[in-house]
Amino acid sequence: MELKDEVRIAAPREQVYAALNDPEILKKCIPGCEELIKHSDTELEAKVTLKIGPVKARFSGNVVLDPTQAPDSFSLQGEGNGGVAGFAKGGADVGLAEDGDETVLTYQAKAAIGGKLAQLGSRLVTSTSRKLAAKFFASFAKELNADPVV
Amino acid sequence: MNEMSPTKSERAAALKGLGTSRKRVEDSRFTQGKGNYIDDIKMPGMLFGDFVRSPYAHARVKSINAERALEMPGVIAVLTAADLEPLSLHWMPTLAGDKQMVLADGKVLFQGQEVAFVVAEDRYIAADAIELVEVDYEELPVLIDPMKAEEDGAPILREDIADQKTGAHGARRHPNHIFTWEQGEKEATEAVLSGADVVAEETVYYHRTHPCPLETCGCVASMDKVNGKLTLYGTFQAPHVVRTVASLLSGIAEHNIRVISPDIGGGFGNKVGVYPGYVCSIVASIVTGVPVKWVEDRMDNLMATAFARDYWMTGKIAATKEGKITGLWCHTIADHGAFDACADPTKFPAGFMNICTGSYDIPTAYLAVDGIYTNKAPGGVAYRCSFRVTEAAYFIERMIEVLAIKLDMDAGELRKINFIKKDQFPYNSALGWEFDSGDYHTAWDKAMQAVDYDGLRKEQAERVEAFKTGETRKMMGIGLAHFTEIVGAGPMKNCDILGMGMFDSCEIRIHPTGSAIARLGTISQGQGHATTFAQILASEIGISADDITIEEGDTDTAPYGLGTYGSRSTPVAGAATAMAGRKIRAKAQMIAAYLLEVHDNDIEWDVDRFVVKGAEERFKTMKEVAYAAYNQEIPGVEPGLEAVSYYDPPNMTYPFGAYVCVMDIDVDTGEHEIRKFYALDDCGTRINPMIIEGQVHGGLTEALAIAMGQEIAYDDMGTHKTSTLMDFFIPTAWETPHYLTDFTETPSPHHPIGAKGVGESPNVGGVPAFSNAVNDAFRAFGVDHTHTNMPHDHWRIWKTAKDLGMHD
Repeated sequence: MELKDEVRIAAPREQVYAALNDPEILKKCIPGCEELIKHSDTELEAKVTLKIGPVKARFSGNVVLDPTQAPDSFSLQGEGNGGVAGFAKGGADVGLAEDGDETVLTYQAKAAIGGKLAQLGSRLVTSTSRKLAAKFFASFAKELNADPVV
Repeated sequence: MNEMSPTKSERAAALKGLGTSRKRVEDSRFTQGKGNYIDDIKMPGMLFGDFVRSPYAHARVKSINAERALEMPGVIAVLTAADLEPLSLHWMPTLAGDKQMVLADGKVLFQGQEVAFVVAEDRYIAADAIELVEVDYEELPVLIDPMKAEEDGAPILREDIADQKTGAHGARRHPNHIFTWEQGEKEATEAVLSGADVVAEETVYYHRTHPCPLETCGCVASMDKVNGKLTLYGTFQAPHVVRTVASLLSGIAEHNIRVISPDIGGGFGNKVGVYPGYVCSIVASIVTGVPVKWVEDRMDNLMATAFARDYWMTGKIAATKEGKITGLWCHTIADHGAFDACADPTKFPAGFMNICTGSYDIPTAYLAVDGIYTNKAPGGVAYRCSFRVTEAAYFIERMIEVLAIKLDMDAGELRKINFIKKDQFPYNSALGWEFDSGDYHTAWDKAMQAVDYDGLRKEQAERVEAFKTGETRKMMGIGLAHFTEIVGAGPMKNCDILGMGMFDSCEIRIHPTGSAIARLGTISQGQGHATTFAQILASEIGISADDITIEEGDTDTAPYGLGTYGSRSTPVAGAATAMAGRKIRAKAQMIAAYLLEVHDNDIEWDVDRFVVKGAEERFKTMKEVAYAAYNQEIPGVEPGLEAVSYYDPPNMTYPFGAYVCVMDIDVDTGEHEIRKFYALDDCGTRINPMIIEGQVHGGLTEALAIAMGQEIAYDDMGTHKTSTLMDFFIPTAWETPHYLTDFTETPSPHHPIGAKGVGESPNVGGVPAFSNAVNDAFRAFGVDHTHTNMPHDHWRIWKTAKDLGMHD
């Protein structure tokens, strides 16, 4: 599955990048996130409950960030395990471009899911993922006191 | 004679014997919801089992923690391989001479593999508890493509046998390689190919699919610890074999095991194998002392119990310029999944794939099959076909079409040139079979006439012109198929499963008042045995089919037999029924002669009675003889009237048929419409024409499913993508076309009543007919385009049209 989108956020780039690295903000914004621990500047551990179609599962996963190009762009890789429900792994490249006082965030994500989640939810995975992404950015913008301009 | 006496033909009709379209006696209970299926079996205190299954296709199992599951109220036990190991039941033998994990022993090899067995007070608790079993996996690289199995760096799947250079079927050249099976003459065939006028080549993939019976697999195991007896109810197509295997595996003496197959809601090969659910249920019942039920849900069934097909068949067919076939070469890569659990006779690791010379007189041929392990579910059963016969028939019927393109010849004409002629039977094929009988030209001509073949080709040519001028966007395909089945396994000289000879049996008891019960070693899964076997017997012993009970499936009462699959019931158990009936009649003749006060040789059989030769007013009916058998002292004859026959068939039977499918294809949407489907079947003597028609309709509909959309698909990670009926195509009335059925009748010369079996023919012949129609629709649009693989779903048909530039 591939997701690609562009989101305009009414906040300066430094602020956006800082927020994206703030576990408290991320925890509030990631739909279903129950726990988010930052082990280091590049390593995160999360517990997220997800529902895709008829399958609901609690995923525990790890995310590794590569901030070498930050704040212009950064990438992340992660994987999560949802027990009998299945597993997910993937990565994303995120770009942050300044546009006056606003920031244009572009992302390109690739994910693969396996197990029951993939079997039952394959039709719903892409649409659910889009919905979750939209929800994330809506919450994220709200945290930054800025409305997302999609 | 009294005017009121029924005539001979009236008496014969009253028997409802051979050739009668007798209504199915089973259906009164099935249509009223009174069937007794495995899930209808309820026993006091019964527990329910469910599996924790692997989400990964290939992974190491580092740990299993069942603590949280065991804390859940209502959970009784969680079994893992560690619990089964002391009993040596963590692995079990497969039907193909391999072994299979019952529960994951250190690693998992396919998604959906059984990892732990949760036993709980009800089914819902069990289903909830499996989510609480924590399994720690370490993911391993996945092998999905069998062509990559022997590449450098390919993951080794079966570490347990990685070092074994020899398997159950000879040499293994790689840890992921199972066997090579060769038939025919390699050098001679290669010589024919290199010197031939024309050689057509193609790789034909018969995709992985699944029998998907309406009722999934299941069992109830009940261990009575007081008397030491195990009763095992299950959806078994071969209950006697299950009893023997259960005895050998568990160490419980065979007389202490009773296996009962109740009503079965479709088998189609899926219910032949022995599955982890059976073993775990038995162990759980022994451990808990109460009955344990396990029934698959649909996902379990499609993911883990036996699949069918998955053969990559590369062929070369040689012919003269005039179209006479001179040689056939075939190499097959057989994807067997994680364990070799094919249900084939022991000496045939690729089943009867060597029937792949089809209906044609091919003097020289060579076949090699390589079995390969992949990270997919095990299986390889005969889904409504005899062992690998649908693969063989599909292969040759596609190769004939490809050859016709190469020769620029009509595919119907090409078949006619090459059919084995009527006077060549019994015919010895280049790959080792003795075809017992056939009359292919008669059947073919009848079919061609019935569909107005020449008219269809003319219309097709006009359609191509209309397409070129833009008048239509619909192409027309004519799918031809002439198949030869090989069923009725089989002669004990070459057919056994796990060493058990593939005879079958029938035991008959005539009751004093002239009705009867017959028990057989087979088991109906919807075929209508209770109807048809009574008809065979009615014609043999002169008792009306309505007065004969047929019983199968209880190993405590039925005679030993190898079960129902591979269209073997009529050829083998049907023969046993006729032979046992003849034993009854032989004894009855002695009794009748005594009653009529004449010598045995002075009376003869007449429909339902023995008459004195030349004085037919003097007779004794079978009913009268039955009463006397029990109630009259007859010198030199034991009381009673019973017989049993164990029938070892001298040969297989070879049903055949000619099918034509006419299909319209929308090149822009990929949709298809089946305008006409004509199916002529020759299954030898016809026992019940109505049941034959029903079998043909059902088989054709399964063939339609397989050819047009049904598949078991995996993604790159080994995730099973078609494990619900949202994705796995089952045709409804909406997709199913009208079928025209027809027949010729060429009796089997060696079968007591000449019957050959029919249940699987429509699948064997139907798949190539549908697929050939799709391929034929594109014949005029690509010189190099000779074949597209099944299933021909809308997307693939659309893609073919696009690739051929038909959207430009």
